[in-house]
Amino acid sequence: MRGFEFEQADDVQQAINRHGSSDALIAGGTTLLDLVKLDVMQPEKVVDVSRLPLKRIETLEDGRLKVGALVSNTELAKHEIVMRDYPVLSEALLSGASTGLRNMASTGGNVMQRTRCPYFRDPAMPCNKREPGTGCSAIEGINRNHAVLGTSEHCIATHPSDMCVGMVAAGATVVVEGSQGVREIPFEEYHLLPGETPEQEHDLLAGELITHVILDPPRGGGQSYLKLRDRASYEFALASCAAIVNLEGDRISEARVAMGGVATKPWRATAAEEALKGQPATRETFERAAEAVMQDAVAYSHNGYKITLGKQAIVRALRDATAAARA
Amino acid sequence: MVSIQYSSPASPVGHADPGTAAPARTAGQTAAGSAAAPGRQRITLKVNGTEHTLDVEPNVILLDALREILGLHGTKKGCDHGQCGACTVHINGRSMNSCLLLAVMQQNVEITTIEGLAQSAGFEQGQHPVQQAFLEHDAYQCGYCTAGQMMTAAAVINEGNVEGDDVSLREAMSGNICRCGAYKNILEAVQSARARMTGEG
Amino acid sequence: MTTETQKPQRVDGTLTSIGQKKPRIDGTLKLTGGADYAADRNLPNQTWGYPVSSTIAKGRLVALELDEALAMPGVLDIFHHDNFDKLSRSPNDFAAANKVGELRLPFEDNEIYYHGQYIALVVADTFEHARAAARKVRAQYEKSDDQLTDILALDSGQGDLPGEDVPGDASSRGDADSAFESASIQLDQRYSIAHENHSVMEMHASVAQWENDMLTVYESSQGVVFQRNALAKIFGIPQEKVTVISHFIGSGFGSKLFMWPHAVMTSVAARRLGRPVKTVVPRELEYLNTGYRPTSLQRVRLGADDSGKLLSIHHDGCNETSPAGLHDDSVNGATPSMYACDNVAVTNRLVTVNKGTPTSMRAPGEASGAFALETALDELAVKLDMDPLALRHKNFADRDPAADLPWSSNHLKECWDNAAQRFGWNKRNPTPGAMKDGDEIIGYGMATQSWEAMRQHCSARFGFRDDGTLLVACGTQDIGTGTYTIVAQTASEMTGVPIEMIDVRLGDSSLPSGPLSGGSFATATVLPAVSAAMKEALAELKTLATAEGGVFENVDQDSITLRDGRLVSGDNSIEIAELLRQNRIGLVDGEASTKPGDEQDQYSFRSFGAVFVEVRWDPGISRLRVARICSTIDIGRAINPLTATNQVEGSIVMGMGMGLFEQIEYDAHGYPYNNSLADYIVPVNADMPQIEVELLDYPDYLRNEFGARGVGEIGLTGVAAAISNAVYNATGKRIRDMPISIEKLLAS
Ligand SMILES: Cc1cc2nc3c(=O)[nH]c(=O)nc-3n(C[C@H](O)[C@H](O)[C@H](O)COP(=O)(O)OP(=O)(O)OC[C@H]3O[C@@H](n4cnc5c(N)ncnc54)[C@H](O)[C@@H]3O)c2cc1C
Ligand code: SF4
Ligand code: FES
Ligand code: FES
Repeated sequence: MRGFEFEQADDVQQAINRHGSSDALIAGGTTLLDLVKLDVMQPEKVVDVSRLPLKRIETLEDGRLKVGALVSNTELAKHEIVMRDYPVLSEALLSGASTGLRNMASTGGNVMQRTRCPYFRDPAMPCNKREPGTGCSAIEGINRNHAVLGTSEHCIATHPSDMCVGMVAAGATVVVEGSQGVREIPFEEYHLLPGETPEQEHDLLAGELITHVILDPPRGGGQSYLKLRDRASYEFALASCAAIVNLEGDRISEARVAMGGVATKPWRATAAEEALKGQPATRETFERAAEAVMQDAVAYSHNGYKITLGKQAIVRALRDATAAARA
Repeated sequence: MVSIQYSSPASPVGHADPGTAAPARTAGQTAAGSAAAPGRQRITLKVNGTEHTLDVEPNVILLDALREILGLHGTKKGCDHGQCGACTVHINGRSMNSCLLLAVMQQNVEITTIEGLAQSAGFEQGQHPVQQAFLEHDAYQCGYCTAGQMMTAAAVINEGNVEGDDVSLREAMSGNICRCGAYKNILEAVQSARARMTGEG
Repeated sequence: MTTETQKPQRVDGTLTSIGQKKPRIDGTLKLTGGADYAADRNLPNQTWGYPVSSTIAKGRLVALELDEALAMPGVLDIFHHDNFDKLSRSPNDFAAANKVGELRLPFEDNEIYYHGQYIALVVADTFEHARAAARKVRAQYEKSDDQLTDILALDSGQGDLPGEDVPGDASSRGDADSAFESASIQLDQRYSIAHENHSVMEMHASVAQWENDMLTVYESSQGVVFQRNALAKIFGIPQEKVTVISHFIGSGFGSKLFMWPHAVMTSVAARRLGRPVKTVVPRELEYLNTGYRPTSLQRVRLGADDSGKLLSIHHDGCNETSPAGLHDDSVNGATPSMYACDNVAVTNRLVTVNKGTPTSMRAPGEASGAFALETALDELAVKLDMDPLALRHKNFADRDPAADLPWSSNHLKECWDNAAQRFGWNKRNPTPGAMKDGDEIIGYGMATQSWEAMRQHCSARFGFRDDGTLLVACGTQDIGTGTYTIVAQTASEMTGVPIEMIDVRLGDSSLPSGPLSGGSFATATVLPAVSAAMKEALAELKTLATAEGGVFENVDQDSITLRDGRLVSGDNSIEIAELLRQNRIGLVDGEASTKPGDEQDQYSFRSFGAVFVEVRWDPGISRLRVARICSTIDIGRAINPLTATNQVEGSIVMGMGMGLFEQIEYDAHGYPYNNSLADYIVPVNADMPQIEVELLDYPDYLRNEFGARGVGEIGLTGVAAAISNAVYNATGKRIRDMPISIEKLLAS
């Protein structure tokens, strides 16, 4: 961990003005300090945004829910509107990390968290994401935890967030602010595929910060988040699925499906959604939807099991969401 | 049943009092007045109700400040990366992993460590119900994860936003790894402390 | 000083302290933050060390670029091969109590034997400065690409195991080969246990200080005497000049039995700088530099007749070891003793890999071996269409067939039946997949548990103080097993002094020489020495009391007994503290050494148990969970059932780790992929099944007067096998390679 300068920002403008391209913002610090200790991130200056007045959760007139970037993962998960109208997001949040970490982690920081690829986390190892052009150690090495969707020959690391998967399913917009003003970015477009430039992880320009995430109006229906992993808690997803199912009688009128643990970004499974729409809410339909998502999957030496696991996550999450819709 | 308070001669270990385990970096602790050295920042941390002024470089982590500068060794380091829970403290009553907190960011908050847990809950004398329950249920072996376990447990019970059933409490306690595997007794202790603190059970 | 070799007297009758569930006497310290673990020590003028380690697995260190690091704030010095002190290796002798974890000394040469090997130690004025500078040390290597980290890759899958044979490990009785050939039922299978890491919560740490020519090291150690002796040999100084202190240990599980290189680096740095140095091994290096349970590959061949009688057992083992130090895990050490069978042969092999030195990890050898043997028996039961429990009963060994000696005490049959009954084994449907509950398929499995009940040499001191308190001291440690407390219970039992009045001192090599906290022998070893020392002190007291002018002047010493902290003779009695005060003596103490006697040659000492497991398999989401574990264990007398049961429960949790999660993986470059607590998966609270442990209470007085055998490791043995057997019962899949990961379940 190298030394750095430290400044505190009291308002958004200060935060924008004070952080240059070699600096980092800190909110909860659970990603940043972890990686700074490892020398994976080496900011010259750390700007504290934890006191910015972005800690509110408010319902907008159009029915959307505006979540400040500094709302903690615990508060968001336990907020009564979230528990009632966005249970898939609440469940996703609560499946992540631990009691203490969720108390620290912020909404904006969670969106910005970095991959858990062990090679990325070790500066001694080649890694295109950390040091572009050095190569990807995981493709030839061990890739048990890596992605099967959205990979490129340059990087196959997963985006590790659970919260983001819940947000993709619920539908959301990321609000960012910089010296050029405010931009609203559809959540699904916010994270970028690795492609040729795995170091570019999101659509955030230098000097910008996330001020809010705005959730679409509640979709109702039945919702479920299912996270599969080795142990029962305190582990990142090997495969996860967020599902929202709206029924008309026994048919699915609308479905939203998102995946984590298997993809290089929080993954909207539109193929599944299309396969579900208008179909009877049966196991066969769910399996077809799962197949549709995973037909594009690419397995590497150690992560082939994720294709099966991912399908299973989809089928079970859809089943549970359907049951919730019926309840 | 052995009483939790031992008279000093029966204390099994000779060198445990903070006096002999004094902080090496007393230099970090500062008297008011003089300016902080270049590269350092003067901060005030309120720990267990007492304010400490210290000069630290910005990259000093709260856990290290507590242990190495303030000499509060009850909070443990098990990984330094948020992966074990041994370093759990309360910040304004909420459990947090102090290995991922910057010391400079913890001003104007109430920091509670295991040394101040009982007092923070109004038990000037003796132990917090969680500590009592851990003793009675033998909810530890080596004792290294224990401060973190108790800090999480106390906050979880106090906040009351976790259901009181075993499954929910096990989940809430899962960010505190106990390699000795005393989980069964930890759960029993948390349940019994919860019953005592909430008047249920 | 006396040495007790005669057969011990029983301590029996109505016990008030021994055998009782006593909260730990060190509990308050542990629960308030007052317990001092090694890294809690801060000494005046102290500095901080931070290691730099190799990023290649094999090759040579060509150059270190240090200028940038040396120029960093607060840096005092950097130690490495070219400037390190020339030291001698420890003789590494267990019997002489100077065995070390890794024989090679730090920075001894410029060869790189494994990824993570220390190449430098940066010392600075603060922890932050040391760490920042360590990251600036640049190394140049000449890399060899022929590193080996996976012994399983060498295996042909058939016939002999890979590796070099260790002739001394081989043993046999009868003619296992021909008995196998002629057996009507045969089984020949391979099994493996992955490289596991102790993952102790407290990272290894040394705080070293030289005062003149005296070295003091605060260390997280399961063996302060071993480390003291080894340091003395390495520095070439008398033992009396070295003190190793370890009052509290954030557990060890074997990883802290023997000294690792960080302690030597830190001691040298402290001597060179003339200031105390504290080095805490960073978590990621814990996985590489402080030992691990080596990967083992095993082949088991069983021959049986149609009734299930075992006719032949072959158990071949092979484990990985390191170029930096040898470790033989002897996975099949227990096999010849486990079952009645006339024809048994075991062999062991070693393969040298580019990893740090493996070491003992909880139930070393036997835990790995029990997995293979107990899974093989389950497979045999399937072939025989026989109940696995009945198969074990059929082959019960009513004396130790390996040593051809009677057991000192053996209640295995009761363990099997007691655990089976509590578990509800009779409800088991042997057809795989037949028991269902909603989405889940239920499986039942069982295994026998066992651990040798050893006892070692030990010294202790026992003192009576004039304030009524007792002082009991022994250079052993309490690693969480409850040694402080059981020593106090024993002292209380013998003297009638309340447990609160007993001051137990452990974890200091300057105390009378005590055993390692390992091998589950500390209890059986330490308590007899405490008892013998008490008798020495008592003799002193009697002399004092019967002296001219004393209260018991002219009384026959043999008529004086000790009760409730008083010396009693007939109707007359005196409080011991009062006796001391009258004589203006602060402390009367005695020291004694004890060791096992000729009972070693007359009996076999082994603890047994049985473990039953229920797993739940949800095939729709490939989720395997352990739902229930029931274990009954005979450990002789539990001195403290509260802490003893806790030990077994904790071992079971570690056994779940072995069965389900734990595995350090290396990639083709010899790079450790998951050396962190987030990536090396150990059980968390949410993984807990319902665990029900019962300890039978049959004191083993042949082991010692207290009837106690050890309890630290046995609970782990058999757990992985019982899980894998339950998985077979649920799924029909026989997973022979631990851990049973999701991908293995999906692949088979
Ligand atoms: C052991 C461990 C286990 C975990 N397990 C899980 C899990 O199971 N599931 C899961 O989803 N997550 C998990 N996490 C990750 C955790 O959720 C994230 O670390 C956390 O959400 C990050 O939030 P933060 O506020 O602490 O971010 P910080 O560390 O403060 O910041 C993270 C990054 O975001 C930037 N940043 C912060 N705020 C803003 C902003 N407003 N605008 C722009 N940039 C910003 C920072 O500069 C930094 O680069 C785990 C973390 C740890 C350490
Ligand atoms: S997968 Fe991505 S993050 Fe991991 S080593 Fe390859 S490039 Fe780096
Ligand atoms: S030391 Fe903070 S979580 Fe492990
Ligand atoms: S008591 Fe040892 S790690 Fe929990």
